[in-house]
Amino acid sequence: MVNWITLAVPFAYLGVLLGSLATFSSLYRKRKAMKSFTLEPWFPPHAPRDIYFSLMHLDPTTASPSGGKDKKAPAVPDSVLKAALLRRAIEDIKRVMALRVQKPALAMLLQRGSVGDDLWQRFLRAEKEMEDEVKDVVAEANAYAPGWGQTIFQSANEMLNNAILRERVEKQQAKLQEEKQSWEKKKDGYLKELDAEAAPAAKKPEDSAAPAAAAAAAPVTPTSESASTPATKTPESSGAPPSVAGSEEDDAVLVEAEKGAKK
Amino acid sequence: MSQIDDDLYNQYPLHLNPTSKSITLNNNHRIGAPERPAPLAPHPRPAQHPPPPLPMNPKRSAQISKLRDSANAAFRKSAFAEAARLYTYAIDMALGRPGWEPVTLARDELAGLYSNRAQAWMSQRLWVEGVVDARCSVECKPGGNVKAWWRGGKCLAEMGRWDEAREFVERGLEVEGRAGDGGKELLGLLGEVEEGSKRAQRAVKGN
Repeated sequence: MVNWITLAVPFAYLGVLLGSLATFSSLYRKRKAMKSFTLEPWFPPHAPRDIYFSLMHLDPTTASPSGGKDKKAPAVPDSVLKAALLRRAIEDIKRVMALRVQKPALAMLLQRGSVGDDLWQRFLRAEKEMEDEVKDVVAEANAYAPGWGQTIFQSANEMLNNAILRERVEKQQAKLQEEKQSWEKKKDGYLKELDAEAAPAAKKPEDSAAPAAAAAAAPVTPTSESASTPATKTPESSGAPPSVAGSEEDDAVLVEAEKGAKK
Repeated sequence: MSQIDDDLYNQYPLHLNPTSKSITLNNNHRIGAPERPAPLAPHPRPAQHPPPPLPMNPKRSAQISKLRDSANAAFRKSAFAEAARLYTYAIDMALGRPGWEPVTLARDELAGLYSNRAQAWMSQRLWVEGVVDARCSVECKPGGNVKAWWRGGKCLAEMGRWDEAREFVERGLEVEGRAGDGGKELLGLLGEVEEGSKRAQRAVKGN
């Protein structure tokens, strides 16, 4: 009899100890779970995935209100579902690549203590999530066509890269009109400049040609000597011609004038 | 707790048009993601999935190379406008390649075609078109594409855009390396550009 009473003390002690430990552990775990549950997801909602599942679960009766029950065939054709699955795979690739790029940088920041543990937890969760997501996509693809699961991500990768390439090329080509306009403007400016340079050069030959013609027309008159002298001097007196073409023309005129004078 | 429920997703009120197979979203429902994906364009052939990138269907490549050959022939005959037109057809065909075919192939083809079309534009003294195509070409394939770098630089130099030309050719030199024939040609062009820009500066000062 005495044994039971004396034994009750250690048992009660053990019971209290274990009970308190158990409550603490369960409380702690619950709180941790709540915390990890409330962690912000790493990525925004996966829209292509949502679309894919929405299509999968599209109710045939709501999808084709006119068809009704006689159209028991799948409301969403396979081709659409496959296209949706490919979109999903493309988005997955984008995300996996992003994770791969971010991982070393994040690990280093974590080591230095620049970022909190929360961020790392969120990252690990996203990584796990993506792993499951990729597996799921492969399984879905294999369900559509045996063996497609091995190539769906290859195809999706090419699609993604092709889309990027097309976008870049289009961006370059889109500049064409704008560049064309600015070049036209610039060219007009150049042409005007050239015109402005050519104008005085074009005028001079006329000026100098007039006396030269006069000199040529009136060789017999006694004023021919006096008329020809200004003609030969005009190019020098009017300053150096700015353009090569102008000076050549002037030279030609000079020669003519000299010929006229010699006559 | 990081385990993700596979069946958890956001349901969208989608509607599928049975004839056109286009998918629409009912009553202005907004998709949560900031980047909304482009509308789905279902593949016309039913119950087929895109084949793996390799091996690929050689038909389109054959067609493209045929067009390129005829364009090259036209170019050799100095029918530059015709050549540019044919190159444009070939480029359209190369751009229309299905997305799941290897991107490296598309890059190679497009780089060559754009570079050749740039040459065809240059022969018609259409420098703007030339420089745009040269830029596209180096965008597709920066390395091993000396011709495109040279043509782009030349077009810019012809338009008197010396600074841009210098930048473009220097970028080309970085990618291609200074050694080798391509590097020498680019260096030669760079020298021309420097000279031209000096001349232009002198002209500005002279005024």
